[in-house]
Amino acid sequence: MGKRPAGGSGRKASWRRERGHFILLMLTPAIVLLTGLILVPFVVGFGLSFTDYILSLPPARFAGFDNYMTLLSTPEFWGSLRVTLIFTVCSVVLQTAIGLGLAILLHEETRGVPILRAIYLLPMAVTPIAAVFTFRMMFNPSLGVFNHILMGMGLPPQDWLGTGNMALLSLILVDTWQHAPFILLIIAGGLASLPGDPFEAAKIDGATPWQTFRLVTLPLLKPFLAIALLFRSIDAFKTFDIIYVLTSGGPGTSTTTLNMYAYKQAIEFVSLGYGSSVAIVMLIIITIVTQLFLRRSRLLTVAES
Amino acid sequence: MTDRNKERFVLSRRAFTRSAFMAGTALAMPAIIGRSAFAQGGAGLEAYTSANVDWKRHAGTKIMVGGATHPWSNAVTPFIPQFTELTGIEVETDFRSETEFLTALPIKLASGSPTPDVFMYLAYGQGITAGWLEPLNAYYENKDLVDPAWYDEADILKSAREYPLWQNGERYAFAITAEAQTLYVNRGYLKEKGLDTPKTFDELLAAARALKSNDVAGIAMRAKAAGNATFPLTGFIYSYGGELVRDGRVAYDSPEAIAAVEMFTTLLREAGPIGVSNYDWYEALNDFMQGASAITSDTSNFATDISNPQKSKVAADAGFALFPTTGSRPAIPNMSCWQAAVNSKSNNKEAAFLFLLWATSKATSLQTSARGLATTRVSAWESEGFRSAFGQEAAQAALANLHNADAELAKRARFHPQSPQILNELAVGVSLALSGSETAEKAMKDAAAKANAQLRK
Repeated sequence: MGKRPAGGSGRKASWRRERGHFILLMLTPAIVLLTGLILVPFVVGFGLSFTDYILSLPPARFAGFDNYMTLLSTPEFWGSLRVTLIFTVCSVVLQTAIGLGLAILLHEETRGVPILRAIYLLPMAVTPIAAVFTFRMMFNPSLGVFNHILMGMGLPPQDWLGTGNMALLSLILVDTWQHAPFILLIIAGGLASLPGDPFEAAKIDGATPWQTFRLVTLPLLKPFLAIALLFRSIDAFKTFDIIYVLTSGGPGTSTTTLNMYAYKQAIEFVSLGYGSSVAIVMLIIITIVTQLFLRRSRLLTVAES
Repeated sequence: MTDRNKERFVLSRRAFTRSAFMAGTALAMPAIIGRSAFAQGGAGLEAYTSANVDWKRHAGTKIMVGGATHPWSNAVTPFIPQFTELTGIEVETDFRSETEFLTALPIKLASGSPTPDVFMYLAYGQGITAGWLEPLNAYYENKDLVDPAWYDEADILKSAREYPLWQNGERYAFAITAEAQTLYVNRGYLKEKGLDTPKTFDELLAAARALKSNDVAGIAMRAKAAGNATFPLTGFIYSYGGELVRDGRVAYDSPEAIAAVEMFTTLLREAGPIGVSNYDWYEALNDFMQGASAITSDTSNFATDISNPQKSKVAADAGFALFPTTGSRPAIPNMSCWQAAVNSKSNNKEAAFLFLLWATSKATSLQTSARGLATTRVSAWESEGFRSAFGQEAAQAALANLHNADAELAKRARFHPQSPQILNELAVGVSLALSGSETAEKAMKDAAAKANAQLRK
């Protein structure tokens, strides 16, 4: 009898140890992957950003904060930051408006809705690079289908990617085409999970559809909107494929975003030190903006009323 | 990707059986493919064994050849079994899209990877200062490796012979293709307007203006704001007497270079298609082949596609001409060679050298040129096989333009250790001048100042 409690705690202890081992075992792949793919490259990149390493002109020399000072004093950096912000804000706003609108329209279950929902989600299923190359062909001013349609309607052909503002607008449109379904998906999920009572109460109180949307649906959807906005903003901030394929940052530098700028420096010019400093600055900006967004907006809390 | 996976092959019993089967097949392949390749190209192994070269000295080794999916890799690959039969050296190839290959290669080489043993290469100066390329003079002088009489360097085009020659007299690569800027005109359109093929830039401008209509652009050339899109513009700058780089510093802000940029941007602004400021070679080539532009100027390699009636609507109308002049100076079209180098960290350097020696030899060039590849060999350029694959007139024009080109000028720009920055700023400057937001003079002065500020002293 005296031994029994001891045996029980022994079993408990070994069970705990086993459980510990099991958790460790289960976490190991994730930790190894995170360390190998995120932590190590980050530390290496951070270290490189304090050197003047150019792959083709070795060796790397320690340069202190030189890269960061150069960066903050170049008009190219500020220009790219401006382009990045315009691109991010415009495309995310446009996508949210379209995604939200479509989600609300598709929420009413009618016969055509499942098919429509599948069609609207298609852009997400297409390999991005293949879609962007197709857009490149469609934007082609002399042989592309967009101008063909415009001219068919008696309108003048457009230089879609040839002038600064137009190129930026075209990039925003492609990004919207590709990512509005993402917002649609999250919001549709949110709508499906909303409680029915507030809507019934609104109906009984005689609220118009617009009032119901503004005062009931939208506040309840806030957490979902917040997640969608956050994901999309971070993603749009570092968009690469669309810009690389369609404009390479041109004409001039009118569509050179920070990510394009970092790519040109680090990969095209093999200037790893300077390129890394651009990437680190991007990381800092994203972290700060995300934190501000999460703390200040209180979007992650559900409205009381 | 399958080639990559092979590296991580773990040998189990099943895998062993499978690889034994594959090895058996591979051993049999040279006999099968090799024979058919010889039949097509007209060269047997005797063309190589007659050389005083110890081909078998590295039999049993295996080398990896890295490169871009390109006419060169397409033309050489079918003949690789012949090399294996000749030398006993096995060859694994890893060819990817040009952009992917060129982006990944510097990172791989900088990490000290011993593979690929042989690789296609463009940014020669970068590779030399970084120490990635094996110096080859000692190999050329090794009598067991090279039989000078058989290899016959005098048969290599002068510009291609001079291309890999570095300032210190050392060679770090073999030139494997030769390209020169050529003028392409649509004879049908010219005839409708009663025009001749333009010989000077002023005639070119007049013709392009006259040919421009709502449906057809007078001229289309690549002018995108990316370093590699500066190829056509560079020929204009050289022919006006300008340079991209002088004494290691950027020099495209000289009055001559500015005049060239002025002509280039006027041509495209007044007679180009809409959206030309975003044109890469792909758009320039397609527009011409579809008859959407009447004139273009770019690498001589365009000829293969333009003359192919299956790809090109204008195959019958296309004319291939000399690059224009200012009227007072000789034309200096831009030129370029793809090169192939031996990895300085490779474990099989001699085997790699033998591969390049074989690939650039007279006999191999004769075989690959019959598939339309613009090799570096005069004998291959003159061969009947090449002329019929590439087109008689196209070959003549390309050869004449190659003859007019100045390898030294081209090398100074492209082999600068920071050549990507130099070309990028040029492209951005031209893009601004083309859009009309800045004058050619201001755009070029700003671009040169920006580029020079980035160069490491």
